[in-house]
Amino acid sequence: MPPSRRPPPASRPGGPRPGVLLAPLLLLALQGVAAAAPAGAGGPEDTPGLQDAELQRGLLQQAARAALHFFNFRAGSPSALRVLAAVLEGRARVNPKKECQVDLVFTTDHYNPEAGEERLGKCSARVFFRNQKPRPAINVTCTRLIEKNKRQQEDYLLYTHMKQLKTPLDIVSIPDSHGHIDPSLRPIWDLAFLGSSYVMWEKTTQFLHYYMAQISSVNQWKTNDDAVDFDYTVLLHEFSTQEIIPCRIHLVWYPGKPLKVKYHCQELQMPEEASGTEESSAVAPTELNNS
Amino acid sequence: MKWILFFGALIGLSICGRKRFFGDQVFRINVRNGDEISKLSQLVNSDNLKLNVWKSPSTFGRPMDVLVPSVSLQPVKSFLKSQGLEYSVTIEDLQALLDNEDEEMQHSEGQERSSNNFNYGAYHSLEAIYREMDSIAGDFPELASRVKIGHSFENRPMYVLKFSTAEGRRRRPAIWLNAGIHSREWISQATAIWTARKIVSDYGKDPAITSILEKMDIFLLPVANPDGYVYTQTQNRLWRKTRSHNPGSPCVGADPNRNWNASFAGEGASDNPCSEVYHGPHANSEVEVKSVVDFIQEHGDFKCFIDLHSYSQLLMYPYGYTVKKAADADELDKVARCAAKALASLSGTTYQVGPTCTTVYPASGSSIDWAYDNGIKYAFTFELRDTGHYGFLLPANQIIPTAEETWLGLKTIMEHVRDNLY
Repeated sequence: MPPSRRPPPASRPGGPRPGVLLAPLLLLALQGVAAAAPAGAGGPEDTPGLQDAELQRGLLQQAARAALHFFNFRAGSPSALRVLAAVLEGRARVNPKKECQVDLVFTTDHYNPEAGEERLGKCSARVFFRNQKPRPAINVTCTRLIEKNKRQQEDYLLYTHMKQLKTPLDIVSIPDSHGHIDPSLRPIWDLAFLGSSYVMWEKTTQFLHYYMAQISSVNQWKTNDDAVDFDYTVLLHEFSTQEIIPCRIHLVWYPGKPLKVKYHCQELQMPEEASGTEESSAVAPTELNNS
Repeated sequence: MKWILFFGALIGLSICGRKRFFGDQVFRINVRNGDEISKLSQLVNSDNLKLNVWKSPSTFGRPMDVLVPSVSLQPVKSFLKSQGLEYSVTIEDLQALLDNEDEEMQHSEGQERSSNNFNYGAYHSLEAIYREMDSIAGDFPELASRVKIGHSFENRPMYVLKFSTAEGRRRRPAIWLNAGIHSREWISQATAIWTARKIVSDYGKDPAITSILEKMDIFLLPVANPDGYVYTQTQNRLWRKTRSHNPGSPCVGADPNRNWNASFAGEGASDNPCSEVYHGPHANSEVEVKSVVDFIQEHGDFKCFIDLHSYSQLLMYPYGYTVKKAADADELDKVARCAAKALASLSGTTYQVGPTCTTVYPASGSSIDWAYDNGIKYAFTFELRDTGHYGFLLPANQIIPTAEETWLGLKTIMEHVRDNLY
């Protein structure tokens, strides 16, 4: 069990994290949704119906993202990564502890744009956000987008490509500043995204979500006879704070086997809070044992 | 010899009005003597065959090129055969050839559209962008001029392009196109400079932009945050803010899109200089923001303010600083939906539409909220491509497709403004 992170600092006048203030609005909207109350009951001014719908939509998208990160990580397949297409339906419930359970159905697409056929996978998920604590609990099942054998073949093909890369890898960042990823390095990006999915799952809350912006360094790249040992630093883009969070990730990937990941993210530097609240060593490395 | 002159030289073929030539063929007919010429003149002059001579021979031994409509192929072939005239088919399907050419032209037209070969399908340095702005103004002096509206914290010039067909210095209602306020959103600056070239190229040809410019002026600021942009090119690709110094803090810069005087320091901004959404010590503290504010206020007649950002594929209108509905929200919503539809019509790129606060997140001190609260009714934010796959690091090969589709959205908005001046 990973150590739980300390909650963010209390709101200061004029400078709270944007997500925090969304919470009361969200709660009001959700209570309206859960109890099927008429529009306007306990909601904010003017058009509560529209706001409820917007906030509801935002929450469902949050849940879908978290569920997909978790799904991608569990699938452990860099050639079968999925991305959110659309949320079809969903329901959210908030308990007195301000924890939020979301049940939803959404469609997915291939992550890799070159993957060809445009078949949409469909997923149903239950996502449990623990107020502002990370690591939402997730139950998700998806229809098969790629046939299992084909997926294993693709993974193995990817693995053989990776083995052919000349080490040490002479890369500064992927993509480069102009968004270019050399085709020979695309497998590295996909594998890095797979590892980052684990991190992004754990960090997602009902207010914060992430995208992988760039691999800023490759510290180690080893391909043994049947595994890839990959140590890298990735930059995650955090919504809605707009912060860039560097995370050092170490993964071991056996094609066809569950992914092993350790990571350490550098939290936001706040020199004003020198008393050491959200500091870079707040998160101890997390070991994952897949049994 | 007279026969040759009689033919006249109908060289080339007009495709104005977009006539179609499915199955039409071009025949190259050998002309060996005067006798053959007279036979051909019969053919060409016959009304019902509707032949069109492309190239008539100036001397014997030179072939004649004739466009034969598909319906006339049989009779012409029979005639030529019966008269012993030699010919070959040089173009088997004229329409296919024209379609191919069109595609190629559009492709290279998109790629390089200026005489000094500025590649619009690539990301450029600040100097290159400024040079190209100057070049555009130089190429179209009656329409465009490069105007310095101020300078950045590190003393770089802030240039806008002014597009105006007004006589003398007469002031017209105006549109402000803002780009690159967040330096890492490179697709914004790239789209802006493409748009600049598009405006001057299409004026006088495209009825929409022509009529817009007959009534209004357009001001385009491609790099609203020059210091940040240079920093993303030299030090940190993911830098967002300005590069102003914060006394007493090791952290640099303020978020220029939290620095406008619209619920300044309210919800959705931070008072911590190290934060990416630090609003700054006071409204308009950032000289880059102040320069724009001063210019717009001095002008006094702006009707539209559009701010280009990336990423997320959203088209939003006020407010960001409150969930309260803007007075014109219904109209703005309709216009935005129309614009998003036009944008999607090109490549299927879908945008979500709505007020900033609930569509993305609460944000105070933003440019479009300030514009709106200062009487500029048509205030919109575009969050351009993509939705997170590449994010800020959008590959250069998506610049032109993004700019082209965005242009359709921009035109929709500008046309509405033109038709609803207040």
